[in-house]
Amino acid sequence: MSIEKSGGFDGSIMVVGGGISGLTTALEAAEVGYEVFLIEKTPSLGGRVAQLNQYFPKLCPPSCGLEINFRRIKDNPKVKVLTMTEVDKVEGEPGAYNVTLKIAPRYVNENCTCCGECAKVCSIETDNEFNFSMNKRKAAYLPFEMAFPARYVMSPELKKTEDAEKCKEACKYDAIDFDMEEKKVEVNVGSIVWATGWQPYDASKIDNLGFGKYDNIITNMMMERLAAPNGPTKGKIVRPSDNNQPQSIAFVQCAGSRDENHLPYCSYICCMASLKQTTYIREQYPDADIYVFYIDVRAPGNKYEKFYKKIKEDEKIYLIKGKVAEVIEDSDSKNITVVAENTLTGEKIKQTVEMVVLATGMQPTASQFKIPADLQVNSDGFFINNFEKGGMFAAGCANKPLDVVSSNQNATGMALKAIQTLVKS
Amino acid sequence: MSDKYFIEPDINFINEVKKLGGDSLKKCFQCATCSVACPIAPDNKPFPRKEMIAASWGLKDRLISNADIWLCHQCGDCSTLCPRGAKPGDVLGAIRSYAISEYATPKSFAKMVNDPGKLPLLLIIPAIIFIVIGMITGQFSFSPGAGEIVQAKIFTPLLVQIIFPILTLIVIASFGMGLKRFLNDIHQNAINSGLTDKRLDIGGVISGLFKILPTILKHDKFSECSENKDRMTAHLLVFYSFIGLLIVTAIFFIVLDFFHIPGPYSQSNPVKWLANISGVALIMGSIMMIKNRLGKTDQTTSYKDWYLLYLVFGLGFTGMLTEIARLIGLSGTCYISYFIHLILVFNLIVFLPYSKMAHFVYRTLAMAHAEYIKR
Repeated sequence: MSIEKSGGFDGSIMVVGGGISGLTTALEAAEVGYEVFLIEKTPSLGGRVAQLNQYFPKLCPPSCGLEINFRRIKDNPKVKVLTMTEVDKVEGEPGAYNVTLKIAPRYVNENCTCCGECAKVCSIETDNEFNFSMNKRKAAYLPFEMAFPARYVMSPELKKTEDAEKCKEACKYDAIDFDMEEKKVEVNVGSIVWATGWQPYDASKIDNLGFGKYDNIITNMMMERLAAPNGPTKGKIVRPSDNNQPQSIAFVQCAGSRDENHLPYCSYICCMASLKQTTYIREQYPDADIYVFYIDVRAPGNKYEKFYKKIKEDEKIYLIKGKVAEVIEDSDSKNITVVAENTLTGEKIKQTVEMVVLATGMQPTASQFKIPADLQVNSDGFFINNFEKGGMFAAGCANKPLDVVSSNQNATGMALKAIQTLVKS
Repeated sequence: MSDKYFIEPDINFINEVKKLGGDSLKKCFQCATCSVACPIAPDNKPFPRKEMIAASWGLKDRLISNADIWLCHQCGDCSTLCPRGAKPGDVLGAIRSYAISEYATPKSFAKMVNDPGKLPLLLIIPAIIFIVIGMITGQFSFSPGAGEIVQAKIFTPLLVQIIFPILTLIVIASFGMGLKRFLNDIHQNAINSGLTDKRLDIGGVISGLFKILPTILKHDKFSECSENKDRMTAHLLVFYSFIGLLIVTAIFFIVLDFFHIPGPYSQSNPVKWLANISGVALIMGSIMMIKNRLGKTDQTTSYKDWYLLYLVFGLGFTGMLTEIARLIGLSGTCYISYFIHLILVFNLIVFLPYSKMAHFVYRTLAMAHAEYIKR
């Protein structure tokens, strides 16, 4: 495999990660005139935000914010987007980095118009990771409706199958090319911003909360997909075991968070996310009983506090101070009984509900995958920014757990830091 | 919860509990995972979450008179699930240790028993008592002489029967007073917490005691725990060997006093079988417990635990060693070992109200009381 020299110079910036933080850093730097390489591991930009149904506290859909950002990228020749791309190696020093990138084959070229004919003829299906495997997707697929770049992807397992030929024949634009290979590209940049984001904590590791054992226990991110109009149920919140409409739902806060056995820190967003999700449920089921079991509700700032107060006005939302530490499934009804001590009354509560949502936290991507650069991480896997040394910075949730607003603020700041490195050197 | 309560934290109490093995207590953030994790906590006012906050706030009086600290069998299920490493199981153990000292009279004894620096004293005091009383009464001999090895030659049965029954009576009297106070306190505490509105009726507690006997004899509370299940076997061995040895001692006292048949008794005697089996079980059980403690790095083990464990092991070991040395004719070993054995017996009986050994009395009483108030 040959390594291509693909331009760039010491005056340009690399942003690793195409989620909301990476998008913001890339755009802020590009819009003041710097050349930016935006690197994304998956086939499309948008990251975790693309999976959300609504933002809190305004409850507007993230498609809106993403659309604006995608538009800005499209209009800005200074941003070079490389999807399905990972950083292989980083050499050099602040002001002069040589980055080797590894680009996986998409098997679809720029001719693609997203007509979807290939997916129609493709019969191979696989778990849809975008929906946390709650449904299947075709091996010839568009990651999601408003994916950017708007281009289909052929899964590697499609290669050398009958379906591959069918897809190729179905494509009227000659966009499918299974001869594409993985390639390595070298890029020179002056500074790098790591916006590698987060992974939802693996809830199956929390033994006592039954995720993976019992069908009707889902995570908060799965709830986002269930409630999203482009999700596996077209936005209908139904419970996994029988697709029935749940009339009672329990939220388990701090599921694996602030817990030395799992994630020892607070992920900052889960309280607000659960409060937000109670509104999803209320919208679809006006009479549903909603139980939120918490250690303490963290709704920081005036806006979030107001949102929390509004939720509390709902008489069928029961906020119970006490962490759920045990779940029991009824094998016939598949209902779940959650057990907690109400610490305000000193009573042990055994609440049976039709569905349970675990409010799991954020685990920094860098704690799961080795980042091939000389960067400092703390014991939890979050990057520690060394502003004195400069050159490389972490933005958004790669640095600490944040909500979208703070991620954007943080990412804008890191764009400036990246620019300062270029100016200094 | 509505009534106002003026909190007066006892800082000294907090520090003492920390020293007694509860050093992790301030890590608690009151999530109540522990109360759910506990397999034996009742649904109404479960433990140990409320004990954790009371300990953090230094509410000594509320805690030491709280029978719930005794319902806990310290299996460690709560500590395993605790998200902050606050080890509620160990904290409750430390509070129990503090409570034992609080109800004991005189308190100076309790201080002595729980102070590693005073250990030599605990061993020397009985030795001196034995020798002095022995010399005065002429029932103790430094030179047992040759011939058949009989423990009675250094320490006559009469001496054993002067010292131990008297000591036992003194202990029972002083312990009894503490226990009476304890029972009144835990009942008042139960009333204050709204757990009962009954008046304290000793008869009711005694009938509660009979109801919970099978639970104790079968160690049912132990088998409910999922962590540390292995310690149940060890505890059962030690528990039954003590019962066995109590029976043996009682029978031999009667045989000696009423039938005037001096020991040593024949190995074919069934009572002797019971003695030997119990002795071996005591050694095995205590070794298992010690091994268990040494292997458990996540559990806090403090001096109070080691004192009792090695005392129990020492009792079994010196007891068996005395017998074996006698049978194979090692007179010196036999007599020295016997003397040490008696010192340890003294420790067990006299320091019972002050050492961790007192747990069996307090826990039994607390369980009987819980049965009485239908906790």
